[in-house]
Amino acid sequence: MKYVSFFLVLALTAALAVLVSMPIGQIPPIAPLLDPNHGFWQNTLSEDQLAAEEISLKNLSAPVEVVYDQNLIPHIFAQNEADLYRAQGYVTAQHRLWQMEFQTMAAAGRISEIVGPIAIDLDRMTRRKGLVFGAEVGLKFIQETDPETLALMEAYADGVNQYIAQLTDARLPVEYKILNYKPEPWTAFKSALLLKYMSDMLVGDRDLEFTNLRKILGEITLNKLFPEFPTENDPVIEAERIWDFTPVAVTKPDSINYPDETLLLGPLTQPVEGTGSNNWAVAGKKTKNGNPILANDPHLSLNLPSLWYSMQLSTPTHKVKGATLPGALGVISGFNEDIAWGVTNATKDARDWYKITFLDDKRNSYSYGNVVRQTELRIEEIKVKGQEPFIDSVIYTHYGPVVYDHTFKNERQDVNFALKWTVHAGSNEQKTFLLMNKAKNHQDYNDALNHYSAPAQNFVFASKKGDIAMRIQGKFPLKWSGQGKFLMNGSDPRMEWQGYIPNEHNANTLNPERGFVSSANQHPADPSYPYYVFDNSFEHYRNRRLNRRLREMEQITVEDMKALQFDDYNLQAAEALPVLIQLLGTYKSDSPEAEKYLQELKSWDFFADPNQKGQTLYSIWSSETFESIWRELMANEVPLVRPNSYQTVELLTKSPTDSVFDIRSQEGFETAEYHVKAGFDSLLVAMSKWETEEGDYSWSNFKKTTIQHLVPNFKSFSASNIYTGGGSGMLNATGSRHGASWRMVVELGPEIQAFGIYPGGQSGNPGSRFYDNFIPIWANGEYLNFSLRTIENQENVLFKTTFK
Amino acid sequence: MRFIFLTILTVLLVVFLNPIAPFWMVMIGIGVLSALIYPNGIGGFLGGGLGMGLTWLGLSIYLGITTSSSLPDRMGDLMGLGSGMTLVGLTGVIGFLLGGFSGWTGVLFRNMLQKNPENVYKG
Repeated sequence: MKYVSFFLVLALTAALAVLVSMPIGQIPPIAPLLDPNHGFWQNTLSEDQLAAEEISLKNLSAPVEVVYDQNLIPHIFAQNEADLYRAQGYVTAQHRLWQMEFQTMAAAGRISEIVGPIAIDLDRMTRRKGLVFGAEVGLKFIQETDPETLALMEAYADGVNQYIAQLTDARLPVEYKILNYKPEPWTAFKSALLLKYMSDMLVGDRDLEFTNLRKILGEITLNKLFPEFPTENDPVIEAERIWDFTPVAVTKPDSINYPDETLLLGPLTQPVEGTGSNNWAVAGKKTKNGNPILANDPHLSLNLPSLWYSMQLSTPTHKVKGATLPGALGVISGFNEDIAWGVTNATKDARDWYKITFLDDKRNSYSYGNVVRQTELRIEEIKVKGQEPFIDSVIYTHYGPVVYDHTFKNERQDVNFALKWTVHAGSNEQKTFLLMNKAKNHQDYNDALNHYSAPAQNFVFASKKGDIAMRIQGKFPLKWSGQGKFLMNGSDPRMEWQGYIPNEHNANTLNPERGFVSSANQHPADPSYPYYVFDNSFEHYRNRRLNRRLREMEQITVEDMKALQFDDYNLQAAEALPVLIQLLGTYKSDSPEAEKYLQELKSWDFFADPNQKGQTLYSIWSSETFESIWRELMANEVPLVRPNSYQTVELLTKSPTDSVFDIRSQEGFETAEYHVKAGFDSLLVAMSKWETEEGDYSWSNFKKTTIQHLVPNFKSFSASNIYTGGGSGMLNATGSRHGASWRMVVELGPEIQAFGIYPGGQSGNPGSRFYDNFIPIWANGEYLNFSLRTIENQENVLFKTTFK
Repeated sequence: MRFIFLTILTVLLVVFLNPIAPFWMVMIGIGVLSALIYPNGIGGFLGGGLGMGLTWLGLSIYLGITTSSSLPDRMGDLMGLGSGMTLVGLTGVIGFLLGGFSGWTGVLFRNMLQKNPENVYKG
């Protein structure tokens, strides 16, 4: 009997121990998670409670000092660059390990390993468009051409790995505990992958949609609805700029035979609307103190842990501070003792698609002019949590990978499209940032940029010497006018890119007469720029607002520049609302509700401040009106894009009786008025619903700005419904999920004054008091002092660590 | 008496062993303690259970208070349990069950090794 009872209870105890150590469905193992010594309770400790005075770091040539200020911003003081980046790797991993690994898992098409079969399609897409292939080519390029940078990337990886090696269960980031996996070693390849991932986030193309539009609308209507330059073009490089070089000749084929079928493919994911950025620099002659001032605010998806991590990196020869990307070396947007620089996305069509004519179903070879070319096969093994791996085979042509074929997002057996993208060519963006961090003048800035390929950026520059500059840098294909706007025929060699625009011909300017340089994702240059430039997503509002303000401002101070970054003026509303109100006429004037909303709209000053109701009403009315105008076009069951808001507003204003407003499927002839009224009806319906369900329709409550954890299901790790203004198309481009992911203002006087803020916090740990402590400051348009620190400075020190 | 002794030793074990060892090693430790101290069955279960459960409960409350972190609430929300207080309770209950069954197993193991009582009469 006592044997029986012992073994029975032993079995019960063992079963209990096993049960609480095993994941059940999506629920992680409960005992390791709740164990207060190892589980999530340990993640309640903030970094200052865990501070160590000394940490052992192997492979250093001299001790490295790290001073954390009161906001947990590390200031690293090393004796040389190898030590500096080793420490950068270790320190970044201490605060952001889970995030940096998760982002590169996404970039590598490996999310299925963490979350299971739900992510297989996502991973296939990531791999089929060749991001991993591109990172491999990129790393090989660095290995062959730049051993110095490679050595620094490996030092960084070693720093990260030394952190991982000493990591205890207790200190493991809580996301690993919940998702039940462990970090793997970091590599230089992952750093390369991260920069490719940025390309993927920022680059789009609409070749498929434009091909369909061309078929449906015809070339003439297409050009009318999608003109390549807006009426009021206010480009990045001032329109007065004289291009004093002889452009490389591009020959346009005399007859072009586009693939002319309507296509039902699932298009690639595009950068979400609202992704964009501002940067500018004003010359000393326009500022109160006579010093140049530089400002940068990249608008990206608002996430926690934040995309950015701020740091100061110092060696005896340079000190640089600003925003870093966890996983990449150096500072990405920042300043040093001599210069400051910033980035905005230079949207330009860098992806083109070629229709491949295979000789047979085996797809080993395809026709190309008069010859036959061979394909290569790349096998992608996608590991899947709780399942057998998924094997995908991707065919590569000389253009690039065949993303769409009958196995993926395409029902037709005979349609195969290969992707040509600058990301697949070897490049060394890391070198640009390593050099920029140490740059002392305009020449150094230009030298650093010569290594930069993708994603193309508008690099703004200002120096203590008084120079301001802008350069649009990327590897841009030489294209004939119209090339790459539509899908092309890959069997015709005349459709090839004819080389690349030389770096020195990339649009740029130094110390322009107008006393400022600026960019806001608009057209790079005036039509006089001698190369063909096309993109569907150029900005038409922020740029004009920004340049208007910069033109009229004088005696500028840092405070003025901060206010401009936080400017909520809605230029689109200022231009469109009077037209909408006029076209509405007296429609629904007998309804008290309609009258109330109309009065609120009429008394609105076009500033989308958080307490404004006019902005809410305008945003619904305009979007419903635009929706109504293009509904019939978008009803075609193929991927299409709508004409942009700028073009729509222009049509409403200048030609309200144009035939584009007519709805063919309805009797009679509709004009703009019809759509404005339909939009207003929808506004009344939407508002009645909103007022019943939510009540308050002030702008911040309506747009509900949310800073979402990288795992969207982890809702309680996100910050939602933040009281802040702004929106898409405004300088403060803070929408519901996108916005200023980093704001920086630097005055380059004898003593550099710098201010910065981002919506998040230095710690990636949702339990830390430094996880989201910057959010209220950011939401109010306030800044942290970001000036450079010396090692001796004892003010506002949180703690210090020495790496030995 | 033995029950109280077991409870105290279990607390010490969890406090000193648990930070460097996973929970299942602590369970084995409690089983061994319980077999050595040898209370009755209920005493073993309650001693091990209260020792581990109270320590886990205490530690989670201590961490929650000293850090004033929002993580317990965030985790409670994420797990669909409402507030962080529920998680404090759950941590205590899991600790109690793991410790209790370990303690009980230890007692029964000792029982198994004891000579049969009828042997007493055969002397």
